Amino acid sequence: MSIFRLGEQRPPEPQRIDDGVVMRFEHVYEVDPDKMRTFPQQDMPAWDTRRIVDARWDHLDWMHDHFADAVLPAGLESETMMPEEMPSETPGREEER
Amino acid sequence: MSVAVKSAIDDGVIEELRAIIGDDDRVLPGISSRVNRTRVPAPFPVHRWAEYMPDVAVLPRTTEEVSEVVKLANRLRIPVVPRAGGTGLSDGAVPLRGGICVDVKLMNAIKEIDLVDRTVTVGPGINMLKLNEALRPHGVFYPDDPASYPCSLVGGRIGTGGWSLLGARFGHTRDLVISMQVVLPTGEVAQIGDGGGRKLRKSSTGLTLKQLFTGHQGTLGITTEATLELFPRPEVEFSAFFAFDEYTKAWRTTGALTRSGLATLAGVVLFDEWKLRYLRRDDEAYIPQPESVRAVIAVAMYGTRAEVEPASKRVLEIGRADGGKYLGDEISQGDWASRHDRYATPLHGRSLDGQAVPMSWHCEDAALNYSVLPQVREEWHAIVARYRERYGIFDDWGMFAYTNAAHKPWGDYLVEIDVGIWEQRLDDENWDAWVRCKREISEVSLKYGGSITACHGATRAGDAELVPTEMGSAWPVVLAIKRALDPNNVMNPGKQRLDEAYE
Repeated sequence: MSIFRLGEQRPPEPQRIDDGVVMRFEHVYEVDPDKMRTFPQQDMPAWDTRRIVDARWDHLDWMHDHFADAVLPAGLESETMMPEEMPSETPGREEER
Repeated sequence: MSVAVKSAIDDGVIEELRAIIGDDDRVLPGISSRVNRTRVPAPFPVHRWAEYMPDVAVLPRTTEEVSEVVKLANRLRIPVVPRAGGTGLSDGAVPLRGGICVDVKLMNAIKEIDLVDRTVTVGPGINMLKLNEALRPHGVFYPDDPASYPCSLVGGRIGTGGWSLLGARFGHTRDLVISMQVVLPTGEVAQIGDGGGRKLRKSSTGLTLKQLFTGHQGTLGITTEATLELFPRPEVEFSAFFAFDEYTKAWRTTGALTRSGLATLAGVVLFDEWKLRYLRRDDEAYIPQPESVRAVIAVAMYGTRAEVEPASKRVLEIGRADGGKYLGDEISQGDWASRHDRYATPLHGRSLDGQAVPMSWHCEDAALNYSVLPQVREEWHAIVARYRERYGIFDDWGMFAYTNAAHKPWGDYLVEIDVGIWEQRLDDENWDAWVRCKREISEVSLKYGGSITACHGATRAGDAELVPTEMGSAWPVVLAIKRALDPNNVMNPGKQRLDEAYE
């Protein structure tokens, strides 16, 4: 059982990705707060961001499963990105449904 | 001639509707029920909301109830507007003259699954996702797959003549409907198909009426039952995304993929530079990609493992033959899965000073031949840039080109330019500007021999006034059909300039 501690729910400081994008959680990109002065970004606790991101992956998995029994991967990594830029959880095997 | 031009609903009409429906909870004259059945997701003149509200909504459960409601409307010359999911990207389900909104959501039954002759018969209120959940245990599926897959309904797909993401492999809505029951504008019920058989895909008896009743935007009747095609559930899905440093290479590769002759090819999607720019600033998947990525192609195949596995090798060869770089399994699989549900778009764009502001999504579509895609793209973006600069409430979210023809993906494309519109800033001047912008975009499509809409319908100002031009010498035939089937112009009046049939 995890204990909810308010102090742990404050999102980490953003890391700049480019002129208009920052990142607080791995592979979760946000519009630069400086570009959100007209309509300020709402405060979100860390658990809520994690919940939305996890739900997104669940949704995509569910969609694959909905349309076919199995997803056939090419088994190739990205040819546009350097290895250190690669996502940490690249699927490497076919997932039977 | 007396035709329905303005709503004439009073308490007596409401009482007659209650007598027909037999359940007061399914006759809804209240303000919230009407407000909620006014607009669709497409940007809307919110400052004039009240002008587009129906006077009453009804929720029939049977063909007989729909028939009696339409007979009443025809007798009293009251406009009737059919509505299914209300997810259209034009204004097919938006009432222009008040009247009765016939909401078919409760007609959502699966009436028969025929695994021998491979059909499923449903009411128009069922959603494709829910239908496929019921079909899955039988090893079959219904492959009508719009961007609104989780929320649109079969009846609306028929009314708008929908396009499917998987259409190159399985066909689009009009190819997937075998026959249907239609309540005509005078209230009679007709069985419409190929010839007279409910489950026949091909006949030469009489006239082929099925196409006429698919894509009429609710102007020729209300579908109350549909018999649909069943396909074997695919064993495997393969999707691959390729990045290019220039649009023309991606365009050439798109052509090569569509001409490959691979029978399991379900669709090819071409993203242009503006789309990549938009995704980099306001979406997620492409943000880490290097700046050299300026165009992307998505390709997907469905079928048996015996077919798709070898074909996937060929796709990888073609996709990389002209400088394309594979984007990796994660983007290829994840982004493709998200294509089934594009109504989860970010819904924010940029004001002129670069600030993120809430915007609704206008998706302007056209049908265009492969040869003209590069030139149309330049002209469409130039139009949107001019209006953005002048009015400051529009934002260019880029363009997609999707394979458009059923089973023949090589010749023409559903082409979309996505435009963000800051609805809170709409007034008459800004709305008129948007309509002019839309019209200019549509005029470019006509100039290049295209159609002003591939699947959304020409039911909104900016498109509607160009329907006679596009139809050309066939326009008098269109007017004669409308007048013959709907003598009092009660069925979704005011759409697509069909009022000319009564002048």
